[in-house]
Amino acid sequence: MITIYINGKAVRAKENEMVLACIRREGTNIPTLCHHEAIEPCGSCRLCMVEITKKEWEGWKKLVTSCLYPVEPELMVSTHTPQIMELRETLLDLYLARSPRAELIQKMAEEYGLVQTSYEPIPDGDNCIMCYSCTRICAELGCHAISAVERGHEKVIAPPLNQPAVDCIGCLSCAHICPTHFIEWTDDETGRSIWGRKFELLSCQKCGKKIITRDFADYQMRKRSLPAGYFDTCDDCKRMELAKTMGKLVVAVQEVTK
Amino acid sequence: MKYRFVVDPILCTGCRTCELACAFSHARNLKQGRSRIYPLLHAKDRYVPVTCLQCDDPACVKSCFYNALRRNEETGAVELDLDRCVKCMACVAACPFGCALFDEVHNEVVKCDLCKGDPACAHFCPSKALRYTRIVSK
Repeated sequence: MITIYINGKAVRAKENEMVLACIRREGTNIPTLCHHEAIEPCGSCRLCMVEITKKEWEGWKKLVTSCLYPVEPELMVSTHTPQIMELRETLLDLYLARSPRAELIQKMAEEYGLVQTSYEPIPDGDNCIMCYSCTRICAELGCHAISAVERGHEKVIAPPLNQPAVDCIGCLSCAHICPTHFIEWTDDETGRSIWGRKFELLSCQKCGKKIITRDFADYQMRKRSLPAGYFDTCDDCKRMELAKTMGKLVVAVQEVTK
Repeated sequence: MKYRFVVDPILCTGCRTCELACAFSHARNLKQGRSRIYPLLHAKDRYVPVTCLQCDDPACVKSCFYNALRRNEETGAVELDLDRCVKCMACVAACPFGCALFDEVHNEVVKCDLCKGDPACAHFCPSKALRYTRIVSK
């Protein structure tokens, strides 16, 4: 355990922990877009920037992304200095120009006093902010079905060669982790559509409720050696089955003890 | 693991107090959470309170690719870390007893975590069909 100072307050931190984790635990609120506990940090949104200094640095200061900076003994962190606030405001201003219709960005910008971007908004600006959360979670899953394609202004997140994603298993992790809910998907009677592909949804053999995609179930069976029978019925029917089995046991026990 | 959650279906009257206790103790933003325990009618006047069995080799933990489910060694419960969960529904589909649930009100996956070692359902059960008892080592 080591001690760091967040806005002057001493906080105990584990070794190899990132500064952002300490800030959040201490209760200070700083905005982030690309951060999620399930994936490795990549520091792409830059909103978690903080100012750090140490006694022996003799007044020198550094601006770092707190999600990528490991704690050091006697580190002094400032989260809301005028310079940091200006930096975040500029970043949110730019995000607002890029994604004018993203609700989360609008809300975050409002907290920093921005209603309208001071830059010229992109007329057909989409809600993708290039935080790579989707590609990172897909890699974490082990699928690597999507990645950034093209460069510069044309850069988008897409499956290889803009063809239907062959490695995708339709788990929707990317759609759920997306901070601005940009990734589109649909579920209907015929199945699930995402990344240009149609997936078959497993139905409960008893009540017909849709469970998960067949590819995702197969993936779990293959990678985590779960038996195929686990995916036959939905959770409601499984609970009822458990109640019936337990009920039979209770009756058997009662008859024995009679 | 010093305590064990005991379900005694013979004593269960199906009053559903446990369901209420669970939903209210997991309430947030003035909205009840989804109950993690259900007394289910399996034969006439016979109920079994169905909740997470905290398996020794849990399928939910195996199915989670993001390590969001982990066992709390103190209480023995398998706990879900919501910060790591991305709602992929792997655990909901994989649990062979259907005890990982999706809460549509709070839009999150829920499962019984024995209330971090103080289960509300056991407190409120009027017929003592649910108990949280100390394990006596022989």
